[in-house]
Amino acid sequence: MSIDSLDQAAIDESVRLGEDVERQVAKQDRRRGFLLALPAYFYMVLFFVIPLLIVFVYSFATRESSGGTALSGWNLDSYQKLWDEISGRGTFYDVLVRSGMMALITTVICLLVGYPFAYFAATRTPTVRNLMLVAVMIPFWTNFLVRNYAWRLLLSAGGPISSFTEAIGLGETDLLFTRYAVVLGLTYSFLPFMILPLYASIERIDWRLVEASRDLYSTGWKSLTKVVFPLSLPGIIAGSILVFVPSLGAYVTPEILGGGTETYLGSYIVKQFLTARNWPAGASVSFILMVVMLSATVVYFRSGGKNL
Amino acid sequence: MRALTKRFDDVVAVDAVDLDIADGEFFALLGPSGCGKTTTLRMIAGLEIPSAGSLKIFGDEVGTLPPNKRPVNTVFQNYALFPHMSVADNVAFGLKMQKVPKADVASRVAEAIGLVRLGGMEQRRPSQLSGGQQQRVALARALVNRPKVLLLDEPLAALDLKLRQGMQMELKSLQREVGITFVFVTHDQEEALSMADRIGVMGDGVLLQVGTPEDIYDSPVNQFVADFIGRSNFLPGTVEAENLVCLSNGSRITVGHAGAVGDAVAVSLRPERVRMENLGEAPEDRPTLEGVVQSVTFLGNSIVYQIALDWLTIEARTENRPSVDRRDVGESVSIWWRDDAVAVVPG
Repeated sequence: MSIDSLDQAAIDESVRLGEDVERQVAKQDRRRGFLLALPAYFYMVLFFVIPLLIVFVYSFATRESSGGTALSGWNLDSYQKLWDEISGRGTFYDVLVRSGMMALITTVICLLVGYPFAYFAATRTPTVRNLMLVAVMIPFWTNFLVRNYAWRLLLSAGGPISSFTEAIGLGETDLLFTRYAVVLGLTYSFLPFMILPLYASIERIDWRLVEASRDLYSTGWKSLTKVVFPLSLPGIIAGSILVFVPSLGAYVTPEILGGGTETYLGSYIVKQFLTARNWPAGASVSFILMVVMLSATVVYFRSGGKNL
Repeated sequence: MRALTKRFDDVVAVDAVDLDIADGEFFALLGPSGCGKTTTLRMIAGLEIPSAGSLKIFGDEVGTLPPNKRPVNTVFQNYALFPHMSVADNVAFGLKMQKVPKADVASRVAEAIGLVRLGGMEQRRPSQLSGGQQQRVALARALVNRPKVLLLDEPLAALDLKLRQGMQMELKSLQREVGITFVFVTHDQEEALSMADRIGVMGDGVLLQVGTPEDIYDSPVNQFVADFIGRSNFLPGTVEAENLVCLSNGSRITVGHAGAVGDAVAVSLRPERVRMENLGEAPEDRPTLEGVVQSVTFLGNSIVYQIALDWLTIEARTENRPSVDRRDVGESVSIWWRDDAVAVVPG
């Protein structure tokens, strides 16, 4: 064996040793990370994954004529029924379309209202920024139900809003128990979930890029559409998901401000469980809703990740 | 520009700067960080609005025009490439904003990318490029618009030494090729000396001296400039006659031009112009001082000595050549210099 090849063997050996050490360090890091995440994992499994599995299992169960649920005779009846309703333009189809439209409108309004606010806040001095963010979060200090009932007072005939429109000569308005009231309530409830991710992504934008675009003959408006919007896209996507998902399944706001005149998805599920006592039907709707939302979220984040 | 001034609240960042930059010139604004050179550049670009004064580009007053209305483009310090666009889209951005016809955009972008030798990289994202490549994209993105003036804000600061030296040469030849006026901001005196046709030295918001690299190095107007561009020893003294300075240790030395009689001055003596001999062996008709070697620093191509005189310490630099004697710590030496090797600056 020549000296050269001996050296080569020694080099290979030391490289292998180095790689081993690196692998072990990485393994230790992963183990430590897992231990730190354990309480969160535990909580999620106990209160999210297990209930979800229960819902999943119930969706295949049989409804007894007495209103109880038999955990036997597993079948796809409830899914079949939902499919029939959708393809036959039945009640469930109407509920689905109505809820989807409401959630979409709410999301668009939140985006239109939230973006200027988030942009303004993100471009202020740190003190003003923090004050504006606190202002966004203040409503969370009051109970969600209380805030919805407050809107009921504001919107009712003879309430402050109605008095105001009367005073300026527009006549009495009775918004309560209309779709407008539901959209208003949903927008009010979920606007912070739009503003916060928008703020986070706009605040992260490197303003030198905007300066660069201005230097490259772009007008202020073009800088906004060609540089600021694309760079805040992750915030737009995250905010839209965070508003659309809870709006679609919202229960409290449509009940209180819609007055139960029209059924939305949330109320539909509750009715299946409590009024119709058809647990498999309620469970199947819940589960489908969740799968649709989860897959939409995954698709959104994947494509969002590729854009940046 | 005339009396160009920028104030931030109470702080005067740029104070009444008068400066003419010629067409096709490679001009470097040099100064320590915080001296106002970047603010001056940003005023030319239109990213800062001057508080007072006038700024003309090719005879047109542009002082308050927004940046998109100026025939000027900038290469930013950290390049500021758009991360959500490909290299080609980054380069095409300025042309699209000016509504240049599509066919022209394509050919000019291809030409600019070829100019900075990035052919084949058109579809990459900036994050997939090395620092040097990003730098070239930033250059192409600015040059493709054929600006009348190209502003460069410390464009090489983020590159490592080897790459930086390579880019210096490239920038210089690129500037000759395109014939556009370059205004280059840097705090690196070597960069300014090696690339610029003329240099403006700034300190504390004031333009201290404008001249060719040789002018500024050989005849600095004051101690700040002399010390910022290269290194220098300052020997304090008083002017006794047109070409005679009495140093504060009592010795009299002749200089080229001293200034008004009675003025307190400092004689600026560059380390590499200090000559060293064995004690008492200096030429008799030259200014001579005696001292002891206090420290020796080996730098590879040169050797730096700190020589303690009885009233101050002088730095001397000799080349690392076999024909130049090495000195040791503690050795007594005579130092001398030619009359024309020094510059007299206000004390």
